Amino acid sequence: MQVEVSRRKFLQGSVALSVIAGTSASVTNLLAGHDEHEAEGDISVTTKTSIEKAENIPFLCGICVNKCAGFARVENGVVTKLNPNPYFPKSRNMLCARGNAGIQTMYDPDRLKYPLIRVGERGDGKYKRVSWDEAYDAILNGTDKFKGLKQILDEEKDNRATIGYCNGEGLSKEGFEVLVGEKLGTPNYVDEISICLETTLGGYVNTIGTYGEADLNNADYLIIAGANRAEAIITPDTMDMFKRTKGRGLKTIVLDPRFTSTAAKADKWLAVNPGTDLAFVLALTYVALSENLYDKAFVEKYGVGFEDYKNHILSHKYTPEWAEKITNISAKDTYKIAREFMAARSPIYYQGRRSVFSKNDFQLRRAMALFQSLSGNLDKKGGIVYGEKLALPKEDINMPMYAQVKSRFDKEGIAIPAQKTGSWIVFRNMVLEGKAPYPVRVMMMRKHNPMSGVPNTKKTEEFLKKMDLNVMIDILPSDTTMFADVILPEASYLERTSPVASYGFLEPAIVMRKQAAKPLFETKEPEVIYKELAEKLSKPLWEITKKYDEDVQDEIKSRGEEKVYEEDGFNLADPWEKPVYEQNKERIVEAFGEEAWKILDEKGVYYPNMENYHKQIDANEFQYYPEDKKKYTTRKDKLKLVFNFKNLAKKGIDPMPMWKDEWNFKVPEGKFRLVTGRHAQFTQSGTTNNIMLRDLISTNYLWINRRVAEQKKIAFGDLVEVKSNIGKVQIKAYPTEKIAPNQIFMLHGFGGSSEGMEFAYGNGANDALLIEDKIEPVYGAAVMHETDVEIRKV
Amino acid sequence: MARYGMALDYKNCINCKACEVACKEENGVLLGADKHRIWVGANEVKGEWPLLDIASAAFLPSQCQHCEEAPCQEVCPTHATYYDENHVVRVDSDKCILCSYCMNACPYDARYVDDRTVTVDKCTFCSDTRLARGETTTACQNTCPTKVRTFGDLDDYNSEISELLRTREHFSLKAHLGTKPKLFYLT
Amino acid sequence: MKIGPLNIPLKKDFSIKSILGFEKTPLNMLMAVSVLAMLAMLVIGVSIYLVHGHHAYGVTRQHPWGLLIAVYIFFVVSSTGFCIVGSLGDVFGFKDYTMISKRAIFGSIVTILAGFAVIAFEIGHPVRMMIYNVISPGLRSAIWWMGTLYGIYLTFMIVEFYFLLNNNMKKAKIFGLVGLLVGLAAHSNLGGVFGFLNARPISNGVFYPTYFILTAFITGIYLSFIIMGFRYKMNFNEKTKTLLIGLAKIQTLLLGILMFFEIWKMMTGIYGGMPNRAEVAEHILHSGGFMFGEVLMGMLIPFVVMLFTKWKSPTTYVWTSLIGMVGIFFMRYDLVHDTQLKPLQMMQTRMYQVSPEWVHYFPSATEIMISLGGLGLCILLYYVGTRAFNLDEEEGH
Repeated sequence: MQVEVSRRKFLQGSVALSVIAGTSASVTNLLAGHDEHEAEGDISVTTKTSIEKAENIPFLCGICVNKCAGFARVENGVVTKLNPNPYFPKSRNMLCARGNAGIQTMYDPDRLKYPLIRVGERGDGKYKRVSWDEAYDAILNGTDKFKGLKQILDEEKDNRATIGYCNGEGLSKEGFEVLVGEKLGTPNYVDEISICLETTLGGYVNTIGTYGEADLNNADYLIIAGANRAEAIITPDTMDMFKRTKGRGLKTIVLDPRFTSTAAKADKWLAVNPGTDLAFVLALTYVALSENLYDKAFVEKYGVGFEDYKNHILSHKYTPEWAEKITNISAKDTYKIAREFMAARSPIYYQGRRSVFSKNDFQLRRAMALFQSLSGNLDKKGGIVYGEKLALPKEDINMPMYAQVKSRFDKEGIAIPAQKTGSWIVFRNMVLEGKAPYPVRVMMMRKHNPMSGVPNTKKTEEFLKKMDLNVMIDILPSDTTMFADVILPEASYLERTSPVASYGFLEPAIVMRKQAAKPLFETKEPEVIYKELAEKLSKPLWEITKKYDEDVQDEIKSRGEEKVYEEDGFNLADPWEKPVYEQNKERIVEAFGEEAWKILDEKGVYYPNMENYHKQIDANEFQYYPEDKKKYTTRKDKLKLVFNFKNLAKKGIDPMPMWKDEWNFKVPEGKFRLVTGRHAQFTQSGTTNNIMLRDLISTNYLWINRRVAEQKKIAFGDLVEVKSNIGKVQIKAYPTEKIAPNQIFMLHGFGGSSEGMEFAYGNGANDALLIEDKIEPVYGAAVMHETDVEIRKV
Repeated sequence: MARYGMALDYKNCINCKACEVACKEENGVLLGADKHRIWVGANEVKGEWPLLDIASAAFLPSQCQHCEEAPCQEVCPTHATYYDENHVVRVDSDKCILCSYCMNACPYDARYVDDRTVTVDKCTFCSDTRLARGETTTACQNTCPTKVRTFGDLDDYNSEISELLRTREHFSLKAHLGTKPKLFYLT
Repeated sequence: MKIGPLNIPLKKDFSIKSILGFEKTPLNMLMAVSVLAMLAMLVIGVSIYLVHGHHAYGVTRQHPWGLLIAVYIFFVVSSTGFCIVGSLGDVFGFKDYTMISKRAIFGSIVTILAGFAVIAFEIGHPVRMMIYNVISPGLRSAIWWMGTLYGIYLTFMIVEFYFLLNNNMKKAKIFGLVGLLVGLAAHSNLGGVFGFLNARPISNGVFYPTYFILTAFITGIYLSFIIMGFRYKMNFNEKTKTLLIGLAKIQTLLLGILMFFEIWKMMTGIYGGMPNRAEVAEHILHSGGFMFGEVLMGMLIPFVVMLFTKWKSPTTYVWTSLIGMVGIFFMRYDLVHDTQLKPLQMMQTRMYQVSPEWVHYFPSATEIMISLGGLGLCILLYYVGTRAFNLDEEEGH
C-alpha cells in the first residue's frame, strides 16, 4: 500500500552500482553529484519504523558537543530511528531535533563518499576520485598540483612546526591531536576552542578552580546572561531549568540583547547592551559588598585577596546608577536583583559557554565567578558544583621528540598564549602578514570549517590558498573542504565505534558509542584513517628525521635504528594497533572490571552501582544517582577563590575585574551592531545541509527592529545588503521587536560557498564574512560582537 | 481497550522542534510545513523593544486532539476516519477518497494530505509504529528535552496521565466547540 | 430510438449533420469556437491533473476546497434550479410554465452531469468513493447524503425526462415530484456540508442549507431566461412572454428575499464582534468578489432592472440573467473560499514566518481549465440535446 522509494534505499542501490562500476579514476566534478530527481511525493527521506524486531545499538550523538546517548534502531542494516538512551545521566533521556535528524546527516546524498584529490584550483570544486592508497600517497608525495609532506618537510629541514592543524570537537578529536600533534610532532594546533569558550573557561578556572556545573535542579534564583539555553542546548542544564521557570521554583533573570527563546521563558528579561555585562556584574558586586549582603564566613575562609577586591569595587564606585548608563539596565532592577540574589537560598549566576562577546570577556567571567563566590553557593547542592569524574586509565602515547621542531609563534597581542591550542585569528593573521618566524606550509584539518567559524572569511581563504598542502578529513564537502588538496571521507558518528569518554560533575558516567551501521560508501572510521595514514607516512618521514635531526642521529648511533624507531615513538601508527572497540574493552575492564564492560557494551553507559541507582521515576523521568550519592560537595576545604590574581598584572592584564570606558557600547549613527547566536535546530555550519533541519528553518534571516525596518521600507523577506569594514552579504529581512533598533542578528553557519552541498550552498548569509577579526587580549580568542555594519535594501 | 490521551506541560516547551523531527522520523512523514502531524506554535512577541510582553511569547505544541466527539469522524462519507479500539482517531487510507471534508471540519488544523497515498493523514499517537511494538510512549513524548508530554490511558486510574489530570489544573483547546479533545494542557 | 423496452423519441433529422448544421451566424460561430476551446482546455487540464495530481491545483492544507468545488456547487445549484423551474409546470400544474418543463428538466440533467465531471477530478479517489460509499457509508456525513441523494435525483430526472419525451404526463409528474423532493434534500445537504462545520463560525448554522434552496430557484430562473433567449433568439411569442414575465416577477420577489436574508446574515455576523465570525464577515464585506460579484451582479442589477422596467421587457432580462449568472458563480466561489478564510490555528509553526492572518488562495491554471472545460461540456451536451430531442412543448396535448 505504501510504497516508498526511500532516499536511503536509493543510496544503497547507488552505492552498489558505484562500486561495481569499477574504480578507475575519472575526472568527476564534485559538483556533479546530484542525479536523482525528487518527484513530488515519490521519494521520502524519512522511513517509517516497522513492527519487526530490530537491533537497538547504543550510540552517542555527534551533532553537537553534548554527546547525548541514544539507541539507534537498525532494521535490515538501515537506521530508521534514533531513540533516547535512558541510562546516561547527562542527557536526561532525550534527543533534540538535531539528534533525531542525525539520520539525515548519515544518509545525506552529498556525503563525501570516496577519497578525492584536487585536479583544479583551490575552491573550484574540481576533484578526482582516487583509492585510499592513492590519497595517502598524494599526501606523502604530492601531485603536479600540490606538494607532498615529504618534500615540504625535506625543504623545511624537518621543522615539524611547518604543519598546522585544526580539529573539530568530538570523540575522535584526541586521536587526531595524537596523530598530528604528538606523532607528527607539530605544536601548531589551532583548536576550535579559541573561537569558542576558551575565555570563559579561563576566567572560571583561574578564579574558582573549575568551570563547574550549575545545579539547576536545586537552585532557586538564576541569572543567565548571554546563554541561550532554550536554543543553545546544553545537557543537562536545558533539561533541568525550563521545568522550573515561571514561578515553579527557579526565578530566572535573563540578560540578552535580543529576546531569545530563553527570554520567552524568563521571569524577567533585561535587554543589556552588547559587551556591557561586566558593568552589570560589577554593580551587583558593589551592592552586595556595600550593603554587606555577601557570605562573609565563606569568603573569609576561602578567598585570596578579598579585601583588595572589596576596596577595589567600593573605591571605583561601581554603583547601579553608574552601570545604568552603560548597560541600559535600570539601577532599580540592579539593586533588586543583587538583593534577591544574595538573599536566595541557592542563587546561581550562570557561567555561560560561548564565543567571546567583547574584549572584556575574561574580566567578565572572573567578575561573574567572584560574584557567585560572594553568595557562598559553590561546591554544594543548588550551587555551582565541582563534582567528580570517573577516572579512565590514561592512554600511553609513545611521543617522539623532534629536535628540529620550532615553537609556536601565535602570541602577538596575547597575554596568556595557550601552548597547546593557540589562537586561530592570531595564527592565521601572522602567517598572512608574514610575521611567522618560519613558513607554515601544511594544514591538516579534520571536522572543522574555519571558512565559516573564524571571523573574516576572506583572510581564511587567503590563508588556505597560501598553504602548500591542505588535507581534510570530513563527512561533507564543507566550505573549507573545497580548499583541500586531499579529501579523506570519514564515517559518520553512526557508522563507527568511538573511544570511551568520561563525563563528570554531579552524576558522572562513562559512555561509549557503538557502530550502528557499517561505514557507507568507501568511508572509514577516523581511527582507521589515523592508522593507515600514519602507516603510510611513518617510514618516509622517518627518513627525513634521520637526515636532519641530530639528536636522533646520536640515538641511532648508540642504540641502532630499529630500536630508536620503535621505542622512541617514531612508529607513527602504534597508538592504533588495536581497534577502538578492543582498546575500549581493555581500558574499562582494567578500571572497572568485566561486569562493567558488559553493561557498557550493552547499554552504552556505565557508572558504578548503575544497576542499583538507576530507576524509572515516572513516564519521562529517571533517577540516575540517589540524592545522597550525587557529587554535590567534592572540594570542601580545597576551595580557593582568587579575588586578586596578582600574577596577571605581570602580563599586562588587570588583576581584578574593572571597567574601562573603551568598552562602552557605542554604535555610530546609522549603523548597527552585529550580534550572533544559535537556534536549537542548527549546530553552527555543520548541519546546514541536513534536509530535515533545513525543513524547519530554510535559511537565515536578518533580525532587524520592526520600526527601523518600517522606516527603511523593508518588509518581511525583502533582500537587504549588510556591509561591514571587511565584507558584505545579502540576506532576507525579518523585522521584529525582539532586537534593539541599533542592533541586528543573524543565525550563524549559513551562506555556504561549497557547491557540493546542495542545500547549504548559497543559502542565506555567512556572518564570518562580516565579523572583523578582533581578539580579546588574554587568550587571543575571537571577539564576535564588536562589529558595526550598514544596512540597505537591495 | 484503552482510552488514550496526552497531557502537555506546555510551559516547559522551548520550541526546539525535537518532537516534530522525532514524529517524522518515526512515522515516515514527508518533509514540509504543510505536512506536519505535530507542531509547536509561537507568536510574535507583543510590545516594543525593550518593553516586551514575555507571556505573549509562549510556545504551544499542538496536533490532532483525538477528540472523543471528533467532527472529522462525523463528516467522513466512507468511514475512512474511525475510532480504533483505543479511541485513537485513525484514518484508513484504503477508504479515504480525499473529499477533504474532514480537513475543513477539524477545528485544530490537524490534517493534511499525504502525497504518497493521496489520502488524508494526521497524528496517530504512533499507533502503528511504537504502540504496535508494545512501547508505552509516543515518539514526541519520548524525545522531548524538557518532558512536556505524558501520553497514557485515561481509563486507567493508575496511569500517570490520570494522576496528572486529577492533581493539576488543565485546559483544552477550543473546548467550547464540544469536540471533547483528549489533549490536556497543564497550567 | 428503441433501447429494449424503452422508446426514446428523437428528432427525425438527428445526425452528425444536424449537430454541425447550425446557422453560421457570427454569434453561433463564436459559441462553437468557444465550446471547442473549452473542451480542449478540459482535455489539457485533465491531462495535467493525471500527471501531477493535486499539486497541479492551488489547494493547500489550509484551503483544501478550491475552484473545482465551487464550480461543482455552481453546476448542481443550476441543476436543482432547473428542476424547480421545470417542476412548476409538470409537477405543480401551473399552466403558464409547462412550456419550459422539458427543456428545464433536460437542463438539470446536463448541468449535474457537468458538475459530476468536474468533481471527478477533485475527489482524490472517485472509484473508491463509489465502492466505499456503498459498503462503508458514513451516515452522519452531509457529503454522503448529498452524494447519494444527488445520484438518486439524477436517476429520477432522467426517468422524468424520458416520460416527458414520451408525453406521459402522469408518470412524469410522479417522478418529477419525488425527484424534486430528493433534489431539494440533496441540495440542502450540500448547504449542510458547510452548515455543519462547527469549526467555521462564518458558515456554521442554518443559513446555508436554507439559502441554497432559495438561490437554486433564483439560478434556475436566470438560466431559464438564458435558454429561452437562445431558443427564441430574443424573439418571444406571446406564450413565452407570459412565461418569462411570470418568471421575472417570481425572480424579483426571490431576489428581494435573498437580499433581505444576506443583509441579516452579514449584520448578525458582525454584531458584537464575535471572534472568528465578525472579522471574517467584515473581511468578506470588503472583498471585491462579494460586493461586485455577488451583490451587484448577482442581486442588485437584475433586481433593480426588473423592478424599474415593471416586468415589461423579457429580452432585457435575458441580459440581466447573464449578469446574474456571473454573480451566482461568485456566490458559489465566495461560499467555498469564505468558509476557509480564517486559519484554524493562528500561530507560527516555523521560525521566520509571518503570523497567519488570512488564508490565501487563487485557482491554478489547471483548475481554471478544468472548470471552463466543464462549462464547455455542459453547453455541448445541452446543444446536442437540442438537436436530439424536441425540447419544446408538444402541440396540442
